[in-house]
Amino acid sequence: MSADKVTSVSIVVPVKDGARYLPELLAAIDAQVVSDAAVTRDVLVIDSGSTDDSVAIARAAGATVLEIPAAEFGHGRTRNLGAEETTGDVIAFLTQDATPLAGWLQAIVDGFALADDVGAVYGPHRPRPDTSPMIARELGAFFAGHGDQDAPNGVGGARIQRAGDLDWLSNVNAAYRRDCWAAVRFDDLPYSEDQAFGAAMLAAGWAKVYHPGAAVAHAHDYPPAQFARRYFDEYRGLRATVGHVEPLAPRRALGDVRGLVAADRAFMRDVGLDAAAQRRWTARSLIHHSSRKAFGALGSRAHALPPAVQRTLSLEGTVVTSAPDLPATAAAAAGTGAAGPKRGTAVPPLRLTPLWETIRRHAREGTTPLLPPSPDGPGDEGPLHIAVVVPPFARGSGGHMSLFQLLLRLERMGHDVSIWIDDELGNMSAFRPARIRRQIRDWFVPLEAPVYKGFDEWFGADVALATGWQTAHSVAMLPGCRARAYLVQDHEPEFYSTGAESHWAEQTYALGFHHLCGSPYLEAMVTRYGGTSSRFSFGIELDTYYTRDTPRETDTIVMYGRDSTPRRAVPLAIMAVQELLERRPQTKVLSFGANYPIYTPFPYEDLGVLTLDELAWTFSRATVGLVLSMTNYSVIPQEMLACGLPVVELAGVSGEGIFGEDGGVTFAPFDPVALADRLEKLLDDRAEWERRSAAGREWAQGRTWELGAQQIEAGLREALRQAHSA
Amino acid sequence: MTNAHDNPSEVEILRAHVAELEQQLAEQSRATNAIVARSQEKLYWLERWHIDLDRIMAKPGAVPALEAVKKLRGGVRAAKKAKRRLAG
Repeated sequence: MSADKVTSVSIVVPVKDGARYLPELLAAIDAQVVSDAAVTRDVLVIDSGSTDDSVAIARAAGATVLEIPAAEFGHGRTRNLGAEETTGDVIAFLTQDATPLAGWLQAIVDGFALADDVGAVYGPHRPRPDTSPMIARELGAFFAGHGDQDAPNGVGGARIQRAGDLDWLSNVNAAYRRDCWAAVRFDDLPYSEDQAFGAAMLAAGWAKVYHPGAAVAHAHDYPPAQFARRYFDEYRGLRATVGHVEPLAPRRALGDVRGLVAADRAFMRDVGLDAAAQRRWTARSLIHHSSRKAFGALGSRAHALPPAVQRTLSLEGTVVTSAPDLPATAAAAAGTGAAGPKRGTAVPPLRLTPLWETIRRHAREGTTPLLPPSPDGPGDEGPLHIAVVVPPFARGSGGHMSLFQLLLRLERMGHDVSIWIDDELGNMSAFRPARIRRQIRDWFVPLEAPVYKGFDEWFGADVALATGWQTAHSVAMLPGCRARAYLVQDHEPEFYSTGAESHWAEQTYALGFHHLCGSPYLEAMVTRYGGTSSRFSFGIELDTYYTRDTPRETDTIVMYGRDSTPRRAVPLAIMAVQELLERRPQTKVLSFGANYPIYTPFPYEDLGVLTLDELAWTFSRATVGLVLSMTNYSVIPQEMLACGLPVVELAGVSGEGIFGEDGGVTFAPFDPVALADRLEKLLDDRAEWERRSAAGREWAQGRTWELGAQQIEAGLREALRQAHSA
Repeated sequence: MTNAHDNPSEVEILRAHVAELEQQLAEQSRATNAIVARSQEKLYWLERWHIDLDRIMAKPGAVPALEAVKKLRGGVRAAKKAKRRLAG
């Protein structure tokens, strides 16, 4: 399923005495350009008692200003307030000294398009022109580790991070999808609310994206003495939060400082500082790192220092009077406690509700019995009430599009369809049913069905239909059903690496449903798990997908380049195209399906995410399509065939049973050279191209959604027959 | 002693009654879905803008404010009516 489209961004800037950078920051927001002109933006400045001109500056720049008393400010609390006071699909937080660089807003929008489950996008902090080399180097080194290291630009490309990855997140520069924020929200913490959010969102199944283009100019730079005092505060805080105690080890500290100064000098050379500047900054670097070691060690032991000394050393001017309650290991490292059993940090519940509670409930309660057989018989004729349980969706989701296309035809056949959104993870928690219903009608097809969220209003059905593994346990427990069925569009365990989710997804095929499978491959899969099945075919919008009136180019391949979907094997496709281009450099390459450029070793024309109409024009213009699938076949090849475009696909997965061995689709093994061979033949052998093109067009005729819906209807009646005879 | 199973005609009658009830249930669920769908169509903008009229009307002063608006509307209507009369 592809990503939701961002249509509006609310930018929230908490401010207190921020006049120094605020004009520059607000002007930089105003100057941001987004390729989709429909994306709107609004700016909210939350002022917590500024005594400078911050409020006037914000108002003059056209920002909405919300003034709160200083005592009410809290890093988490105030950002929650900002999110509540705005309405954008995305809420972007900036600190008052973080100036967005060119491309910041576009990168945020692009970041959310990388995958359906992206809940947050963050970017790097770049040094300002007057930032010291020490800080500039540290920033660069820090963020270099966040991106995709294979990216060619040396600083890392965009990277999706999921549970088990880095959970670092900073509200200096981070944007959140509204439903993700609503599901997780910021804890009311004195600091590090962003870090807590990062950990909680990944644990809840959301992904976040580091996008190098979403950069801000931001660096904390101070004169040497202030730096030293800031490190005193920072290490005092580190001891309080994670128990870190900076060791008092002069020889080791000396070695560390020497290494850091050498790294700074290398950086100075790289950025081209002249000899005089290098000498000057080397001295500063020595002072900087030495004072960091010394003041860090003192900050770790601040509680042991007299209050007057603490006040002098602290940039905040604050005092602590007792040692924090340290974990035993940290205490031992500090030399203030005895070694013993390790005591962990107390962690409060990070989720309001347990994760995958439906699965636990099903494990406890089991499947709810079906209604007794109807005296009218198994339901071989007449309209049915089909209650369709649907996982959360986003605009452009291919799986949901196919599902809703089928449901629309079932409605037209006279069946009564109702939609039940099963949103246990809260991905659509910000939307109420009427809005979800309108989204279905606006983004997909004009269904008449009502939409229910959750099952509080459940009133039974002839057939309850699960449509994704996440919905299967809920459907198994719904009462008042004559039969249950399971629409299977893909082998979903393969969406996950081996783990709890993949296993749960596998288990759903053994819950006793009758399966409605989208291909022979899927039928074979569910049979392996012991389930019964009927088959249906995916339709083609033949009114949209036909050969358009445009000259067919003779040396152009169009590939599906959505590399955020691993089962589409985009790295293999890139490899095959590279092989082809070495043989036929004149070949033109088009790529579609991703909202951002993919990294290829060759030039290509990036078409982005296309509308149905644009797809049809593209398929009518290109010579050969390259669409790979490592699980169930994609509907894209059949749309290409309908436009007369021969396709190259992977052999031995699922396509042969659908398209035939020798029709419009040419199959190749999982081998870049073999794929390149097939592409080359179709480009060079006109007779072969003509034959495949004609075969594809002929195959596509009659593949309508009406046919698919009739097959679904037959499958539902088969489910009723099985329940009746059980 | 006999029961329904011993009397085919009584079984038929019960079956027909169950079938009738089933039919009514199906019609009821169809009607429910249709009503919910219609109301969701009408509620869209309220939900889109997170406007909860129950919550707004529960606020102190909301009912008097509504009454004031009604009176104002009544006054405007009366004035328009008078104007029409005067204009012939």
